[in-house]
Amino acid sequence: MSGNLRRGAVTLPILTSAWRLIRGNPAIWAILGLLIIFSSIVPERFLSSGNLIAILKNFAVTSMLAVGPTFVILLGSIDVSYMGIWMFGGALVWLLYPYLGLASIFIYPIFGLLIGLFNGVLHVKAKIPSFILTLAMTAVLAFLTTYVRNISGVLTLTVPAYNFLRESPIPYLPSPFLLALPTIAISIFLMFFTKLGTYLCAIGSNEEGAKLAGINVEKYKVLAFMFSGFLVGLGSIAIFVHLGNQTRVDFDPSELVRGLAAIVLGGTPLAGGMGGPHRTLLGALVYVLIFNGLFLLPGVDPNHLKLYIGALLLGAVVIASKALKGALIA
Amino acid sequence: MDIQKQLLEAKNISKTFDNVVRALDAVTIEVRKNEILSVVGENGAGKSTLMKILVGVYPPDSGELYHIGQRIPFPRNPIEALRRGISIVYQERGVIPHLKVYQFLFLGLEEKFTRLGRLQLEKIIGIAKSVFDELGVRCDLGSYMYELPLSTQKMVEIARAILSIRLAIGDSGAPDITPIIILDEPTAPLSIEERDELFQYLLNLKKNNSFIFVSHIIPEVMKFSDRIYVLRDGKLVAHHDLSVEKVSEEQLFREIVGRVSYYELYGGHEYGRAEAEGRPIILSVRNLTKKGYYQDITFDLREGECIGLFGPAGCGKSEIAKTLYGELLADSGKLIVDNKEISIKGEPHSRLRRGIGYFSGETGKELFLYWPIKKNVSIVNFEKIVRSPLKIVSVISFKAEKILAEKIVKKLRIKAPSVDTECYSLSGGSKQKVSVGKWLERSPKILILEDPTIGIDVGAREDIYEVLLEMKKNGISMILVSDDPKEYAILCDKIVLMRDGKIQKMYTNEEFKKVMEL
Repeated sequence: MSGNLRRGAVTLPILTSAWRLIRGNPAIWAILGLLIIFSSIVPERFLSSGNLIAILKNFAVTSMLAVGPTFVILLGSIDVSYMGIWMFGGALVWLLYPYLGLASIFIYPIFGLLIGLFNGVLHVKAKIPSFILTLAMTAVLAFLTTYVRNISGVLTLTVPAYNFLRESPIPYLPSPFLLALPTIAISIFLMFFTKLGTYLCAIGSNEEGAKLAGINVEKYKVLAFMFSGFLVGLGSIAIFVHLGNQTRVDFDPSELVRGLAAIVLGGTPLAGGMGGPHRTLLGALVYVLIFNGLFLLPGVDPNHLKLYIGALLLGAVVIASKALKGALIA
Repeated sequence: MDIQKQLLEAKNISKTFDNVVRALDAVTIEVRKNEILSVVGENGAGKSTLMKILVGVYPPDSGELYHIGQRIPFPRNPIEALRRGISIVYQERGVIPHLKVYQFLFLGLEEKFTRLGRLQLEKIIGIAKSVFDELGVRCDLGSYMYELPLSTQKMVEIARAILSIRLAIGDSGAPDITPIIILDEPTAPLSIEERDELFQYLLNLKKNNSFIFVSHIIPEVMKFSDRIYVLRDGKLVAHHDLSVEKVSEEQLFREIVGRVSYYELYGGHEYGRAEAEGRPIILSVRNLTKKGYYQDITFDLREGECIGLFGPAGCGKSEIAKTLYGELLADSGKLIVDNKEISIKGEPHSRLRRGIGYFSGETGKELFLYWPIKKNVSIVNFEKIVRSPLKIVSVISFKAEKILAEKIVKKLRIKAPSVDTECYSLSGGSKQKVSVGKWLERSPKILILEDPTIGIDVGAREDIYEVLLEMKKNGISMILVSDDPKEYAILCDKIVLMRDGKIQKMYTNEEFKKVMEL
């Protein structure tokens, strides 16, 4: 096959690179398939501009939760502190707005970075399993968020001063989507244009070999957690704006599943070593398309959607682990 | 042959894998009562395959099995082997660290000691106590396996093997069978003192059992065996009965490695003899000691010089290599690189920053098999392929990455369709070349070589030597650890002879060749 491709490279370079892209990212098939299915069953509802804008918004929210943690998953560890960073970061913005003014939104990425640093150091130095550690982190931060809301006697932690952010300067491109672009750009840059991406894959696929190649494994593990926290914090600004300049104040496990679903559906195995944020972006799109399309289908009870999504994630994990095993034997 | 003493005979055993790889070729071995029988050979000589046939993991292609003169079928699984009195203690992963000693001892055997679903703990502990007393294992039954020293863990494993044979034979009603315990490289992780302890234990148990001892550590094989079989390339090449004849270590060594080989191909070559004398000293090792592995190691390495650490397996040479590139921590001593003392507690990344790299022949160890060639090259060469337009971030140039990898592929004649080819699809020799190529490009000051040509064919071997010798000519110093004396003769300027963790002697290349009769 590779021989044919190489010959093709002379004549049809665009086709070859497109083929390589699709071969490397099976999620593209899923996206194409979903687009075809939904636009042929419910074309007028699915392809309406309002629905497409909704898809873009939801894509922004889902991918912003998942892109950062992908870097940790490359290591073979996991980071589910994104819920906590998103929730309590917003509470911090609300708390600090009276003192810092509009600049208080920048507390989001800084807070994320600090949480990531804390997670990373604890995981690497104290050897605490990352799942338990970051889940506990999310639990603590979610509790603190609810606590802040309760003692301040308000219903929501809203900062109306950021309303100008909700207006998009470009028609048809919603502002949460535009706010997500820097995070997407940074993650792609880190993955492909710096050695960080290569190093993290190296550690995830062969930690011993990474050590022998002279990689400071502990340092890069901590860095992965820091970038994860930082990107989640930065991305949370988009979610904050999307929700009406407020943060979530009650913990919802289905939001936690959403991030992991995007990562796994995109094709980054939880065992680490391969994949990356580009796949997570595709995975987020798959997730959003399924959710959105099912919602529009006649005869599907919207109350059952979360159940379907949960079952889908389960299936995706099983298939992904099977596929991975095949790759390891080959 | 004394039929009274013969216990088991495996005749003309052959085994082929995938119809291609001939693992065993008409091998005949015999096990006698109350002896320690050693089976020695290089990696891939067929030792493990033979043992796995005896315990029923693999069926042989052909061959016969006799038990006290009586023909019996080959065991089809380890349980059947146990009933015939054969059990195996594997090299590693045998011990379950978080079980208590008596739990581990009876793991998988609990069925016989269960009444109405309840484990009869008192009975188990009673039996365990009597077995340990009988065999002379001294440890607390209630402690966890991981708390025991490694040698005691092995002893418990051996006790367990004996116990499971007894319980299995108890079923079939033939109580007079002498158990045969196969020990697969039992001493590999042990320090020198722990090895002696284990051997005393085995000598003591010999009264009632027979042992098949699989190993490639020659001195201990010589010291404790009654008889030795030598396997090479799936064939039985020698048999020594040490009660009748005397064998020297050198003879055994030569039998294991084999005479006819690629070395003759290099006979006429004059290999890059560095004029190292007078060049600056790049690495000084002073009194380096790790208790139980090596002690008082002192030598100097000059620029462009290659020093070989030579000696039987277990002499501490690989531990020294591991210490130098930072995988193993030394207890005391000094390391001086480029006139600067460095911490003896460094890790591989800090050692590489000081200019010490590591190259091993085990490709799985340092190659990322599912990555394209170019990524495997760039992993240690990022400095060469990044551009820093903004000074703070280094951006990878894909073009430079590709050019760098293509240069190496061309130079080392790696057979691959392109630099995007994933490494698992390459041949063993090409994989090795990718591994060594990345270091050629990186050019560290010192390169530690551990079995650099293990498991590759003659042609690829020649290419690897060529690259290494070129690096040497460019002033890179090397330290070689290998099992193959010819490799030392080709690559090294000086050879340090080691034994039991100590330096015995220092040879020049010429002296070494003379001593090894090369």
